[in-house]
Amino acid sequence: MSESNGNSRRRNVEDQDLGLYFLEACKGREMKEREKEKVKEEEEEEEEPPRELNTINSSGGFVVVSTDKLSVKYTNVNLHGHDVGVIQANKPAPTKRLIYYFEIHVKDAGVKGQIAIGFTSETFKMRRQPGWEANSCGYHGDDGLLYRGHGKGEAFGPTYTSGDVVGAGINYAAQEFFFTKNGQVVGSVSKDMKGPLFPTIAVHSQNEEVHVNFGQKPFTFDLKEFEAQERMKQQLKIEEISVPPNVSYGIVRSYLLHYGYEDTLNSFDVASKSTVPPIYIAQESGIDEQEITYALNHRKTLRQLIRKGNLDVAFGKLREWYPQIVEDNTSATCFLLHCQHFIELVRVGALEEAVRYGRIELSSFYDLPVFKDLVQDCVALLAYERPLESSVGYLLKDSQREVVADTVNAMILSTNPNMKESKHCLQSYLERLLRQLTACCLERRALNGEQGEAFQLQRLLSSSRRG
Amino acid sequence: MSLFWLVIRQLAEIEAMAATKKVITREEWEKRLNDVRIRKEDMNKLVMNFLVTEGYVEAAEKFRMESGTEPDIDLATITDRMAVKKAVQNGNVEDAIEKVNDLNPEILDTNPQLFFHLQQQRLIELIRNGKVEEALEFAQEELAPRGEENQSFLDELERTVALLAFEDVANCPVGDLLDISQRLKTASEVNAAILTSQSHEKDPKLPSLLKMLIWAQNQLDEKASYPRINDLSTAMLEDSAV
Repeated sequence: MSESNGNSRRRNVEDQDLGLYFLEACKGREMKEREKEKVKEEEEEEEEPPRELNTINSSGGFVVVSTDKLSVKYTNVNLHGHDVGVIQANKPAPTKRLIYYFEIHVKDAGVKGQIAIGFTSETFKMRRQPGWEANSCGYHGDDGLLYRGHGKGEAFGPTYTSGDVVGAGINYAAQEFFFTKNGQVVGSVSKDMKGPLFPTIAVHSQNEEVHVNFGQKPFTFDLKEFEAQERMKQQLKIEEISVPPNVSYGIVRSYLLHYGYEDTLNSFDVASKSTVPPIYIAQESGIDEQEITYALNHRKTLRQLIRKGNLDVAFGKLREWYPQIVEDNTSATCFLLHCQHFIELVRVGALEEAVRYGRIELSSFYDLPVFKDLVQDCVALLAYERPLESSVGYLLKDSQREVVADTVNAMILSTNPNMKESKHCLQSYLERLLRQLTACCLERRALNGEQGEAFQLQRLLSSSRRG
Repeated sequence: MSLFWLVIRQLAEIEAMAATKKVITREEWEKRLNDVRIRKEDMNKLVMNFLVTEGYVEAAEKFRMESGTEPDIDLATITDRMAVKKAVQNGNVEDAIEKVNDLNPEILDTNPQLFFHLQQQRLIELIRNGKVEEALEFAQEELAPRGEENQSFLDELERTVALLAFEDVANCPVGDLLDISQRLKTASEVNAAILTSQSHEKDPKLPSLLKMLIWAQNQLDEKASYPRINDLSTAMLEDSAV
């Protein structure tokens, strides 16, 4: 590569080569996906739920824990308030979900039925009932009261005794503790404790015996249904918000304009004028149409050519219509077009031609760090008999053509002398709104100590049909 | 507790609240926005979902060709659905009922409220067209028996028949029934029922996501100040007032 070429490339990068934005979008696409999955796995790993009782820090001497570490029995005779048989789960309640829940089955209420279920912090005094001390909360069987941080309980629910199944949960969306008895919700209270919370049970009179279910067996309480209701509650709150009536139409229309989906746009416009009442978007929306109506037909034509794999013709048209875009053969846009041309040659099996083309047009990109990965992936296509099934098969997918078409589309938009901000050629209104939505949800969750469900746009989009 | 201590405590609380509100500069926020990855195919799906649910069948067809996005419903069913909707919008309720039954007779069988509203709309159209006798006959034979089963149906029936009591219906207390919006309401009810019968969501996802954006911003406002998008139609980031 000549010296002058190198210089012009550098200048281009300084000028913020817009094409680089899309390079990022396709370079190692699959790799990113894989990374993402790995992160997700790690997250789940990190969030190992409680599976058994912690026998090490339990109040030794007062209770006997069964060998499966899932039931506990008070074997002493209780004398005072500091010989409670308290036992925590081996792990704190996982936080990165909508709801955490566990249950106990009271096998024997013993002499006094002083059983309790709740949550405690790591430093909880293991000889006191959950709820009696700070940073703990417990629903007590003998009086049906709820205790939160001191020895005086508040009216809450029914008492419970032998044969009853009682559950305790944390609703992270509502930031509440809730309790159940025999499958029914008893009530909920605001969760005012911070830090890891351990599922905790306590027995405090002779022969009291309790089995705990951390989910290894089906719960008596219908947790799935409860979760669905909680989601619905939140959804309803959101649905109550009103947005201007035609704002969605405007956003869809601007999207079609932005990406040059001209045929769709025309059908959309014809149809929306014949609806009752007709929708006139242009007058009421704040969308700057001029910015995105620019060169609509050219953009549509080039998109079609690229989508059909007709890169030769696309290059020709670009040279004719927008020479400034393809002038610098070392720009990211030219690079993507060359790569795509190479890919199309491989697709149709013209391997010799692909090799020749690659030597002329791609080899010069080989030692430039930003381009290297994609060049390598492209060339790797040659190594496989069935490239589609190989690790670089992603290059042969339609989405790769789409990235190239989007790049060209953005570059043409950027030649519009009236474009106010370069970001506007890169992102449609819809994309800017979705980015804001995602960023807000991520930030909110981060400020909430990463509690609750993670926001995933993809999950929302593929979410089940409501029947 | 003395007043002095109350004031001190309140001051401390205010201070604590102010201190917990995080300030995110525009620069930081834009960096976060840039780090978000929105997949093109997801946006395409969202647009396709809108076209399909709102019944833009030709646009959906074109969009499939231009973007390679597959619709989440058989496009042919949209045409049928839109024909029903249009029939109600144009006041051809009988025709609409026939078309719904051709599509799937269970829709009206399992949805008495919808069926009643369609019959009510039919009555409204008869009254609109001045067919008083026919309207009365229809009300007595078709609608009154249903009203006996359900009090709210009866109330609506009485309200509708009241149209006959006024000479100048346009300005009478129940004149809203003759309004175009009543047709649109009925039309969208049928539309939703057909979509539901096809196991499709009755509303497009895009408006919900827009609502969610407003909600998420409001929620975040409590804990942080950051650049907001206040006007959805311009998608412009505006610096917060702090």
